[in-house]
Amino acid sequence: MNWIQGLVIAAVIALLVFLLRSRGSVQARAWVKVGYVLFVVAGIYAVLRPNDTTVVAHWVGVGRGTDLMLYLLIVVFAYTTLNTYLHFRDVELRYTRLARAIALEGAQRPES
Amino acid sequence: MYFWCIDSRYPDVWIVVPAFNEATVIGDVIADVRTVFDHVVCVDDGSSDDTGALALRAGAHLVRHPVNLGQGAAIQTGVEYARSQPGAEVFVTFDADGQHRVKDVLRIIDKLTAEDVDVVIGTRFADHGVRSDVPLIKRVVLRTAVFLSPRNRRLGLSDAHNGLRVFNRRVAEGLDITMSGMGHASEFVALIDENGWRVTEEPVEILYTAYSKSKGQPLVNGVNILFDGFLRGRKS
Repeated sequence: MNWIQGLVIAAVIALLVFLLRSRGSVQARAWVKVGYVLFVVAGIYAVLRPNDTTVVAHWVGVGRGTDLMLYLLIVVFAYTTLNTYLHFRDVELRYTRLARAIALEGAQRPES
Repeated sequence: MYFWCIDSRYPDVWIVVPAFNEATVIGDVIADVRTVFDHVVCVDDGSSDDTGALALRAGAHLVRHPVNLGQGAAIQTGVEYARSQPGAEVFVTFDADGQHRVKDVLRIIDKLTAEDVDVVIGTRFADHGVRSDVPLIKRVVLRTAVFLSPRNRRLGLSDAHNGLRVFNRRVAEGLDITMSGMGHASEFVALIDENGWRVTEEPVEILYTAYSKSKGQPLVNGVNILFDGFLRGRKS
């Protein structure tokens, strides 16, 4: 197995575990921000020196820097999708409770 | 016409009927339930037809969701309404499409008290004798769902997706269904397990009318139920 395969699979699993276990805590949100900053810095670097990504790609057994970017993009996309799904579910739950409170306020008794 | 018994018939029982666009049958279903039980609460889940008004006219208490929230949310709303009523001790969830029989409810209520359990769930599949009126594909899918769930097997439940459930105040107080859609049946079982509620089941008959079939959830929805179940966080 190539290094990249192991790394990408590990990253996917780590993200999933991280996401499911510490979702919503203050710490988790802080780490998401740190990760985002690192991502931006790395992105700018990669734009300025595109050939360096190929060097990094070679370290992990990928032919071209572009391919490495694609793999990382897929991982990030999957993470974002799942995160959005879970976030929507939390929002939906709050919305449900709000609607329920309104419904119970306006409950009607049968006549008689 | 039944003035003589109005105070004596199951004053501690509340029937919770979640309903979404059931105007064609809701009046009859409520009226049928009301021949035996005084306290019925219909949760109109944001219907676009006259469901709510008809239920109210048929003698049900009416709680109306301002928007459609799903059956699980409707059941939770109905139970929250019922448990706030004075004297409520026994709670029944009952589908609005007329597929349950009132005499099954009576038998299950007896079982709840006789066997000293917290919850009794109706089942279409008791005694290994599969009821012939359950459509074949539906039977296979429902059985598979149960087989895939270690929880159902451990609790000895053969039909966790039955809409007919009877439970006591302990369960009603602790109930907190967060799955809005159809995943709530699995969530109900999970809550039973997590809270250590004593559960058993009772054979019931489901009337598969053309109407209830047309309203029933598509089988492919089982995929949604499984997926949501895996991702179910206990976050409140």
